[in-house]
Amino acid sequence: MLEVEHLRKSFGGLTATNDVSFHVNEGEIVSIIGPNGAGKSTIFNLVTGVYRPDGGDVRFQGASIVGKSTNQIVGLGIARTFQNLRLFTQMTVLENVLVGQHHRLRSTWLSSVLRTPGYRRQERAMREAATEKLAFFGPRLQSFRLNQPVYVLSYANRRRTEVARAMATGAKLLLLDEPSAGMNPKETAEITQIIRRMRDEGGYTILLVEHKMNLVGEISDRVIVLDYGEKIAEGSYHDVVHDPLVIEAYLGKKAAVDRAEDEEGSGA
Amino acid sequence: MARVATPTAFDAIDPARRLRNLALTLVAIGVGVLVLWGLESLGSAKLTQALALFAVWGVATVSLNLINGTLGILSLGHHGFMLIGGYTTGLLILDEAARQRILTSARSTMTEQTLGISVGNMLQSLGLDALATPETLWFRYLLAIFFGGLLAAVAGLVVGIPSLRLRGDYLAIVTFGFGEIIRLSASTRLFSAYTNGALGFPGVTSEFGKSVWWTFGVLAFTVFVISKLKYSSYGRAMQAIREDEIAAQAMGVNVAYHKVLGFVISAFFAGVAGGLWVSWLGGVRLDFFLFQLTFFFLVAISAGGTGSITGVLLGTALVVFVRQYGDPLEETYSIQTWLYLAAGVLGLAAAGAFAFRSLRRLRPRLHWGALVLAGAAALAALVALIDPSAIEGTFRGFGMRAIFLSVLLIVIMVFRPEGMIGRAEFSWAALLREQRSGPTDEERAQDAWLSNPQLNPGGEGPRDDADATRDEGGR
Repeated sequence: MLEVEHLRKSFGGLTATNDVSFHVNEGEIVSIIGPNGAGKSTIFNLVTGVYRPDGGDVRFQGASIVGKSTNQIVGLGIARTFQNLRLFTQMTVLENVLVGQHHRLRSTWLSSVLRTPGYRRQERAMREAATEKLAFFGPRLQSFRLNQPVYVLSYANRRRTEVARAMATGAKLLLLDEPSAGMNPKETAEITQIIRRMRDEGGYTILLVEHKMNLVGEISDRVIVLDYGEKIAEGSYHDVVHDPLVIEAYLGKKAAVDRAEDEEGSGA
Repeated sequence: MARVATPTAFDAIDPARRLRNLALTLVAIGVGVLVLWGLESLGSAKLTQALALFAVWGVATVSLNLINGTLGILSLGHHGFMLIGGYTTGLLILDEAARQRILTSARSTMTEQTLGISVGNMLQSLGLDALATPETLWFRYLLAIFFGGLLAAVAGLVVGIPSLRLRGDYLAIVTFGFGEIIRLSASTRLFSAYTNGALGFPGVTSEFGKSVWWTFGVLAFTVFVISKLKYSSYGRAMQAIREDEIAAQAMGVNVAYHKVLGFVISAFFAGVAGGLWVSWLGGVRLDFFLFQLTFFFLVAISAGGTGSITGVLLGTALVVFVRQYGDPLEETYSIQTWLYLAAGVLGLAAAGAFAFRSLRRLRPRLHWGALVLAGAAALAALVALIDPSAIEGTFRGFGMRAIFLSVLLIVIMVFRPEGMIGRAEFSWAALLREQRSGPTDEERAQDAWLSNPQLNPGGEGPRDDADATRDEGGR
């Protein structure tokens, strides 16, 4: 579904992404992990068209999307959430999710002003879709919450709203940037289940960046590890966390050596 | 799940409620018409003028608020778009006598050709002589303000496309620059054949601009279009741009298109407002379209509540009231009277501070600042009382109106920075207290249940046993 090939991006002298290639198949949940500054969010920004890559290609459903603007890419079917929450805080939960669907509206501004039957029908469909997406998160974003402005919500509810907003864009591929940041263990366990249900019931393909390893381990079909802008490992969660390169990236060389020795010892 | 409360998302488009709201709106319009009729039949020219001015400026502020409040772009060039609409309307409906006067005037820079531009001539050349009679002037005026709005919208498009790439302060400066460019180019030789240079031209009919029916009709139309736009999907997209441009783009909103769209619609209504404004003034002149005009609109918007159409109209009413009824402030009074006045204002301020601190439960209630104010008030009153002979003379309060407005704005900005009514908007649901912003007791209990791990150890949603055991282990 998504193919990233030899992607390169540097900011001045800093190489944020260096020759990264990976792919995401339809219906997969793929996680990107890596220490801080490894270039995870840069990959998201490159895929969604916020940055233009210096080299390489990004293909979505077979066609290159390099050079397209962010909103065009959303129209093609890739939506994202943000690491540090970018909700429309003065607007209500419902309105936030409705904005995500605006790009699919087929009415002109004039027929919207005149509230033509076509516009009304689409507006009703948008509201239904919005409540449907919000229902993924159980009753906590329903009823009175729908009409509450986002700024009164708890942090976890804001995260959920943002995911619902991305789902509502009609995208097939969701890029979730740390969906569990700022959540307590119980809420993390819950969002883990929700992400799985989004794939199983919602039919979304999911690419996520995450720091919480239990979440990554539980739901990822594949894990991609980045360090200093380069891909250092890819595979199942189990393979990746035992990869010496990955341990080195997270814990340093000595730890990697110690760890390898331990494993040899226990194996023998 | 039985726990899920009935969704309220469809309240807004519930047909029965919509019908009731429509009925209420019609009744309110009817009452409004009756009130206007009553006020007009009082026969006070000053009152009618003030009402008409409120409506004219209301069109301008409501349209400016679409950019400033809904789209979140500080635009300072509204007077430029009004000028385009004003000059276009003025030229298109100028009556024949006025045209002859300009033609024969030695200082005029307009030619026979440019003076021949009028809606009347256009209609006549189309063979519609019936619409070119004095009785059908209203139709020609309607066409003229429409053309004025259209031309302003085109200017908005031309200005908007390049400048809306900028953000924040830079954009504000550019819009200000364009507003001034429009105003100054109207006085140049390039356009003076149409604008009569710096002189402008008198003789624009006041039949419409000073009629409450015309102005309020146009205002109602403007409010209708802009509020419907604000509450449509397009309006939500514009508000999303105001809240977070990057996020809006990432949610598929074509930011550039929506910015230009908002800008052009706003410019159109600015042009229409300009057409009403020249009719209210009875002529066209460059200094009717100074930046000051935009400044007054911005004051009205900030005082009323940025982003709220209701608030903006309130703010406009305030500004127009001070402008039209503030002349007693600018007259000549004896210094003794001024001292009493100062004592009164300072005393009121001190009392207000005391009341405010009591209300907000701030301690001490009597702040030293309030004491200073009260002391100054007492001093002024004492001087005026004890020794009137030492302070003989009179003083004329030039510019007191502007000072009063500024002080009012400062007070509003200090105590209610979001404006008189903030972002809130009038709606029948809000008036009848139907809007639900808070939970019912049942929902509150449900919410507590959801977010309390002790009451809800398993969490909701399908979960397999492995998760449950891991959670138990983790605790």
